[in-house]
Amino acid sequence: MEREIVFTGIGGQGIQLMAKVLAQAAVDAGRHAMLFGLYGGAMRGGPSESTVVIGDAPIEAPPIVPACWSIVAMHPSALPALLAKLRPGGLLFANETLVDVALDGRAVVPVPATRLAEESGNVMGAGMVMLGAFVAHTAVVPLERVVAAMRAALPPHRTRMADANAALLARGAERVRTAQHAGAA
Amino acid sequence: MSHLEKVFETTDLLLRTEHSLCPGCGEPVALRTILELIGELGLRERTICVAGIGCYTAFPMIMDVDVLQALHGRAPSVATGVKRVRPDAFVFTMQGDGDMVSEGLQEVLHAAARGEKFTAVVFNNAVFGETGGHMTATTVLGQHTKTTIGGRDRERHGNPIRIAELIAQLDGSAYVARAAVHTPSGIKLARQYLHDAFRTQLDGKGFSLVEILTMCPTDWFVPPDQGPAFLERNLVPIYPLGVIKH
Amino acid sequence: MSERALMEGSAAMAESAVRAGCRFYAGYPITPSTEILEYMSVRLPEVGGTCMNAESEIEAIGMVWGAAGCGVRSMIASTGQGISLMQESFAELANAQIPIVAVNMCRGQADYFQATRGGGHGDYRFIVLAPASAQEAVDLAQLAFHLADEWRNPVMIMGDFLLSHTSELVEFPAAAFPEPSAKPWAVTGANGRRGITLSPLGPPEKLSTDIAAALGAATAKHAAIRAAETRAETAHLDDAELVVVAFGFPGRFARYAVRLARERGLRVGFVRPISLWPFPRDVVATAAQRARAVAVFELNAGQMIEDVELAVRGRVPVHAIGGISHDHSGFGVGPLLNVDYILERIEAVYAA
Ligand SMILES: Cc1ncc(C[n+]2csc(CCOP(=O)(O)OP(=O)(O)O)c2C)c(N)n1
Ligand code: SF4
Ligand SMILES: [Mg+2]
Repeated sequence: MEREIVFTGIGGQGIQLMAKVLAQAAVDAGRHAMLFGLYGGAMRGGPSESTVVIGDAPIEAPPIVPACWSIVAMHPSALPALLAKLRPGGLLFANETLVDVALDGRAVVPVPATRLAEESGNVMGAGMVMLGAFVAHTAVVPLERVVAAMRAALPPHRTRMADANAALLARGAERVRTAQHAGAA
Repeated sequence: MSHLEKVFETTDLLLRTEHSLCPGCGEPVALRTILELIGELGLRERTICVAGIGCYTAFPMIMDVDVLQALHGRAPSVATGVKRVRPDAFVFTMQGDGDMVSEGLQEVLHAAARGEKFTAVVFNNAVFGETGGHMTATTVLGQHTKTTIGGRDRERHGNPIRIAELIAQLDGSAYVARAAVHTPSGIKLARQYLHDAFRTQLDGKGFSLVEILTMCPTDWFVPPDQGPAFLERNLVPIYPLGVIKH
Repeated sequence: MSERALMEGSAAMAESAVRAGCRFYAGYPITPSTEILEYMSVRLPEVGGTCMNAESEIEAIGMVWGAAGCGVRSMIASTGQGISLMQESFAELANAQIPIVAVNMCRGQADYFQATRGGGHGDYRFIVLAPASAQEAVDLAQLAFHLADEWRNPVMIMGDFLLSHTSELVEFPAAAFPEPSAKPWAVTGANGRRGITLSPLGPPEKLSTDIAAALGAATAKHAAIRAAETRAETAHLDDAELVVVAFGFPGRFARYAVRLARERGLRVGFVRPISLWPFPRDVVATAAQRARAVAVFELNAGQMIEDVELAVRGRVPVHAIGGISHDHSGFGVGPLLNVDYILERIEAVYAA
């Protein structure tokens, strides 16, 4: 089965990196993956979107998917148009710091990604928090693979950030786990 | 029987000594000089000639060296590809003024600026010979061609380009000279300049260019024996002979 | 040993070319082919090759001509505009029977005619291959170098923005084809033999003027290439009432739409020409024989549809369900790259 995940947000939120890390982690875990990013010329502030499809065989879906299994929304600007693509029962991950999570009865996994990143003193790391939460909730790939892929994806002059990012990924994962426990209780 | 001293011998790199070009044409003289030098320097086995398109396109089939035929204007890029993958080859281009200075000016400028280590030879007869005598970028002011009836006029047709001086300005060029083949002493000098240009290449020093003024009596509309005088009178004043950069 | 990696289609294709023995590349930046130039500028020096950031497309193809004329596997890539500038050289490279691999990372699919008919002069043909995934780009790059050498004919790979920029898991095969055979036609310096002339204008032998024979040899192989090198992917043709034909990466959108149509119970089949020249005429003709109609999805004003019509020969109606499609960037990623849209068009033609 192919699982299509669309990441949406604005430039500077690390949308492309989140998607790239997830796709690389899936490949490292022995699965097939496809990755396609669309972003405007602006490095910061313009719309940014990236699609990842993960499967167990060569990917059939085209990179602009007609429907998706999950949406990860870091920012609300491009979300309304995307929501139509979310399959019934599909999962919406919302950065509740910026995205209004009261979305007409859909199952929403709220993650205060920007706030948690800020609390860690790294507002640019919201994407990593969200990605940690996403993999912890969906288990599409093991978190360790994501951490390893993130380390490999950083350019050499940024390896300093790797440990900080690993902590942010863990923070997001932990947030989901506690929320799940709370829900179960 | 008197004793005859051997003063002249054709090079065996010329597979046929008769050519199909016009009587009085300067290009066969220039070609023979090039081939003699290649023979003397023992370069035949490593030579790759890249030929342009003009009257001299008749030469590859009578030259006993490997020739890669290029399109009109493109020889410097093709020679670049050759020399980059075969750095040990001896590579020279053979172009006309129409080929190099009109159609392919950008190519030769960039190749020279990059300092490509081949030798560019341009036969400048100040006319598109092969098409029947039309103005090129080196046609001199006042020169009659089929497209400058009444003479090339600065206002109407613009000014001629001195390609050798232009190339000499570029940092990548290591040797630049201009010769002419209209007199025996001119041919001797041409031989010397070609030799020095070839040496520049063999020493890996950078781009080398020899511009050779050649007679084209047919498209200068003069009898074959008037070609040398026409060249001396009309071309040499605009295109002074000598070493321009070394 | 084969290796796997997550790579963009452009990088995957370039890497595959290097593994196929490509040692010379020249290019001039233009979206979306620039990534190949960037990749080659890093990768080729690592294997002792040369990458030239040429000053124009015309100079780039000249450089590739020189390297390929020496017998070195050589590649060039550009986009429609740049490919247009290379057409004189393309035509004459084919006449000179110099094998090169040329990549057109097209904007949309507007260059089908340019690729399959040639924008240059004369009787020449390029073998044209159109991958629909990064993996196929890898496989077809290997094939392209093999075919170019085997037939002594240029080969073109047609891609687009999506192929260039979509990352997928690719596997590099260990050794896809045997080592290329000797190249006695290449200029090397006349060591131990008489000189040769490698030219689009006449024969290689000195003192010969048999131009007709030389040009005849350059084109006589076309029939054999048609017979041996036609490639297509097909699906669901056995009971298809409607046959959808599409090529390249956009063909993947069409294939997905066909799958959804099948899930809805429509008897729709699929043909994806992999070789655009030679065009898989027989495959399309056979598929059309059993169908009520044919629908062609392509991102242009209607180009491949002419080849489909030639194959179908009026037996059933042939409908265009694609069109020109662009977003604000002009790179060919437009609203028609939409599975739902294609599905709607398929349903409409099916119901007609
Ligand atoms: C692209 C292109 N344009 C035009 C021509 C026609 N053409 C053939 S030879 C020639 C003139 C060559 O002039 P030049 O290089 O000065 O050589 P010459 O004949 O004077 O020796 C031209 C214009 C061509 N072969 N290719
Ligand atoms: S036209 Fe001029 S250049 Fe051409 S062969 Fe005759 S004399 Fe020589
Ligand atoms: Mg001339």
